Amino acid sequence: MCNCSENKKVITIDPLYSPVEGTIVKACQMTENEKFFEIRLEGGKELGHMPGQFVQFSLFGIGEAPISVSSSPTKEDKSTFEVVVRKVGTFTEQMHKLGEGDKIGVRGPFGRPFPVDDLKGNDLLFVAGGIGLVPLRSLINFVIDRRRDFGDVNILLGCKEPKDRLFTDEIAEWEKMADINYACTVDKAAPDWKGNVGVITTLIPGVDLDVNRTYAVVVGPPIMYKFVVAELLKKDLAEKHIVLSLERRMKCGLGKCGHCQINDNYVCQDGPTFTYDEIKGLEEAL
Amino acid sequence: MRYVYLAKDDLGKFIDLLKEKHRVVAPVKKENLFVFADISGGEDMSLEYIPTIIPPKKYIMPQKESLGKFDMGEVSMKDTSIEMEPTVIFGMHTCDIDGLECLDVVFHKDPADPYYKKRRKNVTIIGYECMFPCDEYATCVTMDTHVPKAGYDIMMTDAGDKYILHVNSKQGDAIIGSGNIFKEADQDAIKKELKDLREKKLPKFKRALNPGYKELQPLFEKSYNNTGVWDDVGRRCVSCGNCTAVCPTCYCFDVYDDVKLDMSGGERGRVWDSCQLNEFAEVAGGENFREERSSRQRHRYYRKFDYPVRKHDKFFCTGCGRCTRTCMAKISLIETVNDLAKGEQDV
Amino acid sequence: MSEDKKKVRIAFFDFADCEGCQLQLTYLNENFLGLLEHCEIVSFREAMSERSDEYDIAFVEGSITRKHDEERVRKIRENAKIVIAYGSCASLGGVNGLRRRFSDEEAKEIVYKGRDSHLEAGWPRPVHEVVKVDHFIHGCPSNNDETIKAVKSILLGKGYTPPDYPVCVECKLKENVCLFEKGQVCMGPVTRAGCGAWCPSWGNTCYSCRGLLDDPAEQGQTELLEKYGYTIDDITEKFDLYNRCRMDAEKEAEKK
Repeated sequence: MCNCSENKKVITIDPLYSPVEGTIVKACQMTENEKFFEIRLEGGKELGHMPGQFVQFSLFGIGEAPISVSSSPTKEDKSTFEVVVRKVGTFTEQMHKLGEGDKIGVRGPFGRPFPVDDLKGNDLLFVAGGIGLVPLRSLINFVIDRRRDFGDVNILLGCKEPKDRLFTDEIAEWEKMADINYACTVDKAAPDWKGNVGVITTLIPGVDLDVNRTYAVVVGPPIMYKFVVAELLKKDLAEKHIVLSLERRMKCGLGKCGHCQINDNYVCQDGPTFTYDEIKGLEEAL
Repeated sequence: MRYVYLAKDDLGKFIDLLKEKHRVVAPVKKENLFVFADISGGEDMSLEYIPTIIPPKKYIMPQKESLGKFDMGEVSMKDTSIEMEPTVIFGMHTCDIDGLECLDVVFHKDPADPYYKKRRKNVTIIGYECMFPCDEYATCVTMDTHVPKAGYDIMMTDAGDKYILHVNSKQGDAIIGSGNIFKEADQDAIKKELKDLREKKLPKFKRALNPGYKELQPLFEKSYNNTGVWDDVGRRCVSCGNCTAVCPTCYCFDVYDDVKLDMSGGERGRVWDSCQLNEFAEVAGGENFREERSSRQRHRYYRKFDYPVRKHDKFFCTGCGRCTRTCMAKISLIETVNDLAKGEQDV
Repeated sequence: MSEDKKKVRIAFFDFADCEGCQLQLTYLNENFLGLLEHCEIVSFREAMSERSDEYDIAFVEGSITRKHDEERVRKIRENAKIVIAYGSCASLGGVNGLRRRFSDEEAKEIVYKGRDSHLEAGWPRPVHEVVKVDHFIHGCPSNNDETIKAVKSILLGKGYTPPDYPVCVECKLKENVCLFEKGQVCMGPVTRAGCGAWCPSWGNTCYSCRGLLDDPAEQGQTELLEKYGYTIDDITEKFDLYNRCRMDAEKEAEKK
């Protein structure tokens, strides 16, 4: 009908959705389904993240996926950051095929970090279930690097089987540190396993907490949150002192596409970290 | 800013004037309904229309749009530009103008969406005031969108053998200044005429929702667990996604990669998505945070009447009635809201 | 593209069907040539006479009915790296499923009328009820846009999963007037999209040829059709036309 195309003009758009170049400088298989990547941004530019934030990785032709950053910003070599990717879908399967020297697109960092300022001066209880250790490792190493800013540190880890444990070498280091209490449990033991057996909640009653000055930071699968939070509340820990990180489907990371929305919260912008009092009662959250 | 007259006989000339520098889209008849489409002249359009199948948001946030082109094996997009001609959306109803204002809030909020922002800047809004209610599905009276307030460059109001044009922006003023078909008149006299027209118009518009504007959000605040209403809506819903596709304030999207046949490159783009679809809130591990149709429908209603009020201090329902009109399962916004209000009374 | 890059070898096979889906491919024209940069067709009865048993991807068209067909499709499965159930007869059992309303004897009598002594009446099944299927391309006939999309996606290594949302989604984005609006009845709300709302865009109703969604709103759709004056029998007929095999399988699963 209408033919006014002579008026058509080309409008330049800020490349908000265009990824920047990342190069994989180290890649290694950690477990059957989890692979570790160390990534260097173009020109060694610092990612500029804080613990708890995530990036959107991109492979053209395949798509994008949100992945938590696992390294601490206090890491010595600021020109790289680390992630661990679990193979759960098309994108992550393709990402697992990548190795050292391969390029990957990066957008971000996105999201609200763990409330590091609130944690300062307080005792910390870290509870990680399975792959939940990945984002929590960023915060744990942050705390270790700034140890004097924080009080007592307790780390509780849980996973399905001994072979699913991540960062075992690094955890062995944490275990040796005199100012960190550490405990680990598996749901199902292997023949040579000498540690605890049972779900992660079984470790909580044994922890000695000063509830007035303790923050618990909990990251794990959705089902774990319900039980761990209940156990922490039993210990009289304040709801504001329980910090969680939620996983949702995300497309834009910019608070627009709607996929990650929990009630009126956009997880990509308002989260992924929340205190329990912010999300309790939200049916869609846990 | 100011008011002018346009003789009804000169409507075609007005369109021709606009077409000199713009692409002009306007309501056009499609079978028994209406759509916004390109027009070549005034005779193509149907200015007396009920809300179009899809709202005119499609010109600013197209159903499917490219975010950028890429070469295979590269990691950054090579071209993120868009092509667009200056566009006049002609004859927009006040409810749809309100819808655009909602989208403006979302997409201009930091981090602003550059695609939306640039398209929006290229659009001129010429509204057309409703002098009669469109049908039994609209709730514009409660939502307070039935009288022009803001958000347009020019607003046209039917005044018998002529239109009153309210020129409301520099952009609108430039258009009026470029033609000789507009009649200047005493501003106070036009304002008086407009006031009289509205006084005659308003009694024809009846309230369809029982709760009033101020009662709506408090009602939703208390209705999250009204399982009777939500389960009933969920049982009838077929999750077709029509209600969100036709909503002037829905903006959720999915991102896709489309690769060329020779596999040398392609484009990354976005396409409208719907929170009513099963996969929408599903994460890679398979967990779905809104698995039930009832919870998805509830989410839609809360995204209109509760969440945006908390976040942006604005209802994201414009009262246009499209969701009810388009629903083959006959899920009615009016019934749902009135049922919630009734439940509230019973308690 | 480097010359020495090994092309993916594709073969087409047909079973109980009309071969209409293979015929669709011959309409691809220049798009077909684009694809041939990356793949090579080694068996395609609809368009060529040569054939080969060395292939990577097997497009299996048609339902599996007789014992002999079962053996043949098993052989194809052994030879192929990827098996695609192509078109609704293969992916769903399709209209062939209607044969299941009758006993073997009745079916033979209806179809062959006394000349049936040497003819078999097989039990129609979708391919995945006989051998493992890697990817599904639904449709009666299949839609070329989707076929190309699926092939590209498979070549990229990400496989192909058809949408799990209804035809209405694609129909509404095209701003079609809803058929319910015109008093017609449409299976769009419970049918898997991916065809670009092909039929409704041309004024025809959706027959659910691409099969039901994973979680179709059967109750909602049934109430809806009742609201438009349809009886339970009419409704069953509508669900049955392409989905008989799946509904049988679901009934079986429930029994267990």
